Amino acid sequence: MSIITISRGSSSMGKAVAEQVAQKLNYQLISREVLLDASNRFNVPEIKLEKAIHDAPRILEKYRHSKQSYIAYFRSSLVERVIGGNVVYHGLAGHLLLKGIPHVLKVRINADMERRVAIVMKRDKIPAPDARARILEDDKQRRKWTQSLYDQDPWDTSLYDLTICIDKLSVENAVDYICLAAGTEEFKSSEKNVRKAKDMSVACRVKASLVEEFPNISVTCDYGNVLIYMKGRDHMIGKLSKKLNNIRENISGIHHLETHAGVEPPPDAV
Amino acid sequence: MEPLTLDMILVMSMIGLAIFLFIVEWVRVDVVAILMMVTLPLLHLVTPKEAFVGLSSNAVVSIIAVIIIGAGLDRTGMINKLVAPVLRIAGNSSSRIIIAISVTVAIISSFMQNIGAAALFLPAIQRISKMQKIPLSRLLMPIGFSAILGGTITLVGCSPLILLNDLLAPFNLEPFGLFDVTPIGLVLVVSGITCFVLLGRFILPQGEPMDGGESDSAISPSASSDPSKSDKDQTEFYELRTPDDFTDYRDPVFVEDLRRRYLLNVVAITEPPDYKVISPNPDVEVRSGIDLAVCGLKKDVLRMASAEGMHLKDNLEIYKDSLSTQAAGSVEVVVGPRSAFAGKSLKEINFQDRYHVTPLSVYRQEETYRAQIDDIVIQVGDVVELYGTWKRLTVLHKEGGLLFSLPSDAEEMRPEKTLWAGFWLVTALVMIMGFKIQLSVALMTGALGMILTRVLSIDEAYQSVDWRTIFLLAGLIPLGIATEKTGAAAWIAHSILSFIGDVSPIVLLTVIGILSTMFTLVISNVGATVLLVPLVVNMAIAAHTDPRMAALVVGLATSNSFMLPTHQVNALYMGPGHYRTVDFIKAGALVSVVFLVVMIAMISLVYGI
Repeated sequence: MSIITISRGSSSMGKAVAEQVAQKLNYQLISREVLLDASNRFNVPEIKLEKAIHDAPRILEKYRHSKQSYIAYFRSSLVERVIGGNVVYHGLAGHLLLKGIPHVLKVRINADMERRVAIVMKRDKIPAPDARARILEDDKQRRKWTQSLYDQDPWDTSLYDLTICIDKLSVENAVDYICLAAGTEEFKSSEKNVRKAKDMSVACRVKASLVEEFPNISVTCDYGNVLIYMKGRDHMIGKLSKKLNNIRENISGIHHLETHAGVEPPPDAV
Repeated sequence: MEPLTLDMILVMSMIGLAIFLFIVEWVRVDVVAILMMVTLPLLHLVTPKEAFVGLSSNAVVSIIAVIIIGAGLDRTGMINKLVAPVLRIAGNSSSRIIIAISVTVAIISSFMQNIGAAALFLPAIQRISKMQKIPLSRLLMPIGFSAILGGTITLVGCSPLILLNDLLAPFNLEPFGLFDVTPIGLVLVVSGITCFVLLGRFILPQGEPMDGGESDSAISPSASSDPSKSDKDQTEFYELRTPDDFTDYRDPVFVEDLRRRYLLNVVAITEPPDYKVISPNPDVEVRSGIDLAVCGLKKDVLRMASAEGMHLKDNLEIYKDSLSTQAAGSVEVVVGPRSAFAGKSLKEINFQDRYHVTPLSVYRQEETYRAQIDDIVIQVGDVVELYGTWKRLTVLHKEGGLLFSLPSDAEEMRPEKTLWAGFWLVTALVMIMGFKIQLSVALMTGALGMILTRVLSIDEAYQSVDWRTIFLLAGLIPLGIATEKTGAAAWIAHSILSFIGDVSPIVLLTVIGILSTMFTLVISNVGATVLLVPLVVNMAIAAHTDPRMAALVVGLATSNSFMLPTHQVNALYMGPGHYRTVDFIKAGALVSVVFLVVMIAMISLVYGI
């Protein structure tokens, strides 16, 4: 009942690895479906969501907060999708968006640059310099995205449980190692892990329902006790309080709901 | 009018910066003042000597002495003893109670810091609310406002008035006497109280009376509860037993886990073999086959019993005696001004380990916090509900810093020193009035007398001084000097006057009053006074109005801070009174308008402008 996230640079054969792992373990493979889910659930055009989780925020977006909203929607949909376990997710920032769920096996697939260039040349029918430039630009965008939103570098190996470079190791080797790791006790779902995943799902749903109006809130959920952290105390608090009843009624799994204004949110807050 | 110079522009920029920092509160107000104290000589706007002249100013020394005298009076328990006769006079009528206590608070406030008088009376007011079954929200605001208004009765009643003579000195204007403002202050107090007596039902929130017994002694079995809680939300005590195999198939469960998971506070637990621990530490493990008592909502208790497989007993059994109201209970405490607990999280304070009492909830500005309260950083005015044995709560009370809703003999009082305290207060007043000795010298004599006659020790005197207020005053004084010295005050005053044209003295004073009120709502009253006095004196001179009266309007109107909970007294009473900002706007707006009208009318009547 593991959850596996496979993060990869573009054209690094991460998709092939993810497909084979899912097939070998008989797990569900998800990627773009999360976008569709989020688009349907939150009534946001898919293209906007895709841009939000791919491109780094521009200067104005940092103030418009639309990206935070789209990412909250995406994260909520992703958590809902993986909560049942037996899932392989390959896509952007799975390791960051699912941070807080203990039994997630976080994998990073890298590939030798020449091999990546060859793949892009073949796929897009472009010369080597163009293919290299395209890969570098894509890597730069992804690095900027994670750095601007999570202050992390996607190439930092300490973010992952397993980092595999497809060069001397083949895709098949990578699949074997991942499957072996997924069978480790730490990545099996336990009652405690499932509860944490459910709590996170509740926190994500609460955040998604409030983020548009209150982009700076952070949410935690522990045993169904939801805490909404808000910076400072201002007129927004009264406005937020009015929304709480609605949230209690519409989101299941909430035992208690409280707003902590002016209190620093814990690092694991959504 | 003088042309605008670079120095003037620099001073105005510094004023702008100070106002900006006062509003955004990136750093504390006293730090802003110190910033001014240091930056102004660096910019050559004042000399180094002038930069620090505030520390030796008459105003600063006077305020230190006033604080020490106030602390001395407090230490004798004299003020608490006033409550009983005041109540006898007041009887049961809420209007009479408001009048009696408000007048008493106002008079005390006229000789000590407003916040000190307000904090001193809070426990007594909470007790009166319980005894007479009058909602606390109907008592606190009128009394808090009276504490602020009382500051206008004498020249030592509040920081702006203490500061006034120092700010007038550069203009060679005659200083005000100690009781020069008394007629105006008294009428302001009477008007404020009248507003609440006549219109209280329309402008005050109609809360519910506090529950509890009628104990009149030390901390005792009369648990208080949150008046805003409905029956459904009422916390109760429950006793449970863990099964014999509780620890067999699960990770260890600790006291703090139960609070985190189910919002239940374990107030007693059995440590094997059968040692009963009241208010256990968060890291105590919940073992198999033991009894525990928890405080919380029934739905949460049922949730825990079901999830953890515990047996919920019908009544308290094992802990019936140790948790009886004779032995233990819960009290609401208010974090007092300058409390050592303020600025610390409950985790850092660690009530359970240090005092063996359990914090149950925190109430702050319309919100009751029950979850993850350990991370909440306690602020002045927060209401913390604590549970423990009366013995332990008494120990905590002795520590000071927390205002208990019940009166207590816990604090070390020196009633035998009452006469000495009274004698030194009278001596200081006689020196000021009879011998025309300077305010700071006379008041410091009174303070020293209290120390020499052991009303309070020198260490207690040092501890009582609020250094934030001292540095706020001392740091802003050079800004006033720079404003005057560079001609910036005169330039701004002339610019404003040329904009508004010729106006009558009454209109000018009214405009100054409104301006001061607006300033004091967003920046500190001291800041507003220092910035406005040089300005308005120049304006008055240019408009051929009495400049002393213009300064007096600023000194008085900077106490007109009722519309927002920004004044220290309002902030302190907001939590216990369960007030919302809108409550202050509603009642404060009326009192502020009345204040302005009465102040101008009285100045015109007394000084004949």
